[in-house]
Amino acid sequence: MFYAHCDDRETIFDDTTSVPQSIFNPMAVDHPAMAPPDTKVETGRNVEGRAPEIKPTVETDEVTLAGDSELERTLGLTGGLAIGIGTMIGAGIFVFPGLAGAEVGTAAAASFAVGGVIALFVALPTSELATAMPKSGGGYYFISRGLGTLAGTIIGLSLSLGLVFATAFYLVGLGFYMLDALAEVGITISANPGTIVSVIAVLSGVGFTVLNVTGTENAAKLQNAIVALLLSMLVVFLGFGIAESLGFVDADTPPGEAANVWSVGPVMSVAALVFTSYLGFAQVATVAGEMKNPGRNLPLAMIGSVLVVTIMYVLTILVATSVFTQDRLALEGETAMVAVGRQLLGTPGALVIIAGGLLATMSSVNASILSTSRAIYGVSKDALLPGWASRINLNYGTPHVALGMAGGPVVVLAATREVQLLAEVASFLHLIMYGLICVALVAIRRDRPEWYDPDFRVPGGPVIPLIGAIASFGLIAFMNPLSILVGLGVIVVTSGWYFYYARDITLKGAV
Amino acid sequence: MTHVLVPVAVLKGSTVSGGLIDLLGTLNVTLLGYHVVPEQTPPDQARAQFEERATNALGNIAEEFRVAGGDAYYRMVFTGNRRKTIERVAAEIGVDAYAITGVTGAVESLLVPLSGEIAVSRIVGFVTTLIGDRDIVVTLLAAGNVPESRHDEAATTLETAGVQTETRVSAAGPFDALVDAMPGHDAVVVGEAAPSLSSFLFGEKSNRAAAAFVGPVLVVRRNQPETDTVHS
Repeated sequence: MFYAHCDDRETIFDDTTSVPQSIFNPMAVDHPAMAPPDTKVETGRNVEGRAPEIKPTVETDEVTLAGDSELERTLGLTGGLAIGIGTMIGAGIFVFPGLAGAEVGTAAAASFAVGGVIALFVALPTSELATAMPKSGGGYYFISRGLGTLAGTIIGLSLSLGLVFATAFYLVGLGFYMLDALAEVGITISANPGTIVSVIAVLSGVGFTVLNVTGTENAAKLQNAIVALLLSMLVVFLGFGIAESLGFVDADTPPGEAANVWSVGPVMSVAALVFTSYLGFAQVATVAGEMKNPGRNLPLAMIGSVLVVTIMYVLTILVATSVFTQDRLALEGETAMVAVGRQLLGTPGALVIIAGGLLATMSSVNASILSTSRAIYGVSKDALLPGWASRINLNYGTPHVALGMAGGPVVVLAATREVQLLAEVASFLHLIMYGLICVALVAIRRDRPEWYDPDFRVPGGPVIPLIGAIASFGLIAFMNPLSILVGLGVIVVTSGWYFYYARDITLKGAV
Repeated sequence: MTHVLVPVAVLKGSTVSGGLIDLLGTLNVTLLGYHVVPEQTPPDQARAQFEERATNALGNIAEEFRVAGGDAYYRMVFTGNRRKTIERVAAEIGVDAYAITGVTGAVESLLVPLSGEIAVSRIVGFVTTLIGDRDIVVTLLAAGNVPESRHDEAATTLETAGVQTETRVSAAGPFDALVDAMPGHDAVVVGEAAPSLSSFLFGEKSNRAAAAFVGPVLVVRRNQPETDTVHS
């Protein structure tokens, strides 16, 4: 389906790739091809009198020409998949199986499948928009350009906050795994394990933030290696687990299988809870500006990572619920997979899962902190936040203000250890964004602006984006009322910020 | 005209030494200002904050080329991967060589190793154009298994063009021989061939310092097809 418009794509890129040669009459520092487009939008100013910095750009497969400079595209398909899978895989496999299996048993596999299908219905429209606007900012950028400044401000700010909640959630997961790792090496904390989890989560949160501010080593290769390692560990582990549950091999598991609760309400409610496991694919769009050959790699990375993790999640649930009863899963909680590993393969199995859980939650935390600071940069560039929020540290070359704005609240939230609340609020804020991305696609297609020329088009007219929007908004209804309340609170506050700070700014169509 | 790319880490305070500016005076020069951003930083964010400073500094270096009687165009790239950027731009504008800037005074001697799978005629042609009618002595370095015919031919061609040429034969391996011979020369011209060599050139500064050579190195690119290979 990616190649339905192959011919278009070829011609488009033939045109654009010839741009550098022709416009780089190198003496000319201002490039003729970068003259402002005809449809110049008057963007207005914020309450401080600052206007959005909107420079016309020219995108090619290898580079973006912006202002007097070139911005190199350095991420390939592997890098994109690693961001998507690396962000997602931590939660769905290492934190949720126990919680979800405890609620509905084997039917949790259906909950994960539902989440995966919804994610796919959003990933397709997101891919189309990202190939039309391959710039950093992701969902925020598409919504502000497609639906205007109010929706843009709400999403831009709540995306950052949604990522903050998600990061806190991953950190708590990391804390639980660290506690198990300590127990495995003989340090058992019986007095107050909860507090220890909080302490570990807070310290790790501070550690990751500091590392991101001061670390200039390129960790992308490490991230790719971690994701590859995780995937191969999981394939072996799940392969064995499936063989065991089908009776091909016998690891002497107890006879108690989880009972199934195959009714729509509970399955959907669990789907709403575990949807946090699918928040990574849109993070690929936040680095769209750095992706090589974006017309091909963006859709492949987003859709591919959703498909990979959906399969992994469903298999994990099937294995976990075939090994343990619901009671046992509930008892083991966040680290139920460690017990599953121990049951299947003894201590080595437990160690593999602990190591995997630590790596996976760390990679989720790191990827999310990076996305948060990019999200903050996106809104600050458009004058929806003060300019100082996107300042870069002169010593390290890193966006220390944005990283601090992300890391600070993350640490506070992580200390609460409220796994379900954190996960659901993160999902709530992302689902609002996903729904609006779908709406933005329909709106932009209807308006047919001149600049809109995606390399990838979602087939089937408005059907997929409409289903994506309805499913995204609909899933919210199955959430815990407290999570919905916190989410709505965020929206009210961010709308208030718009009316105070950015009322006079126009972003619709300002590409 | 022979075209050379000069990458400069312009925001790190790197400049092009006077000796190199003079040396390249006979060629068409493109200054490639670059700034490597860590992955935490979107390149566009770095651009928003540093572009003006970077292009000012590049403009100043280009001005130095003009004052020295040469000419230089410039472009600025914010990148997460320096090597990819240099290779892309080199292919895009079809340069014949790129320079690894180093510190040198007036260049009076060039070291030209002939080992490895390199296009000797391209390198000799480049050296001839580079030197022009100036009094710069070339040392051809034949180390390892370089056939005698190769350095004889190169020496003859250079001398016919009026370039004073010496030949140094070494029994050491190509890389060791090069490192040994470097200190006696102001600049080095190498062919883009052996991966070990290019990783040495692209490697950490400390590696270069360890090799006891801080002067500029000109890397002559392999023969490129006419069409732009980067996008294929």
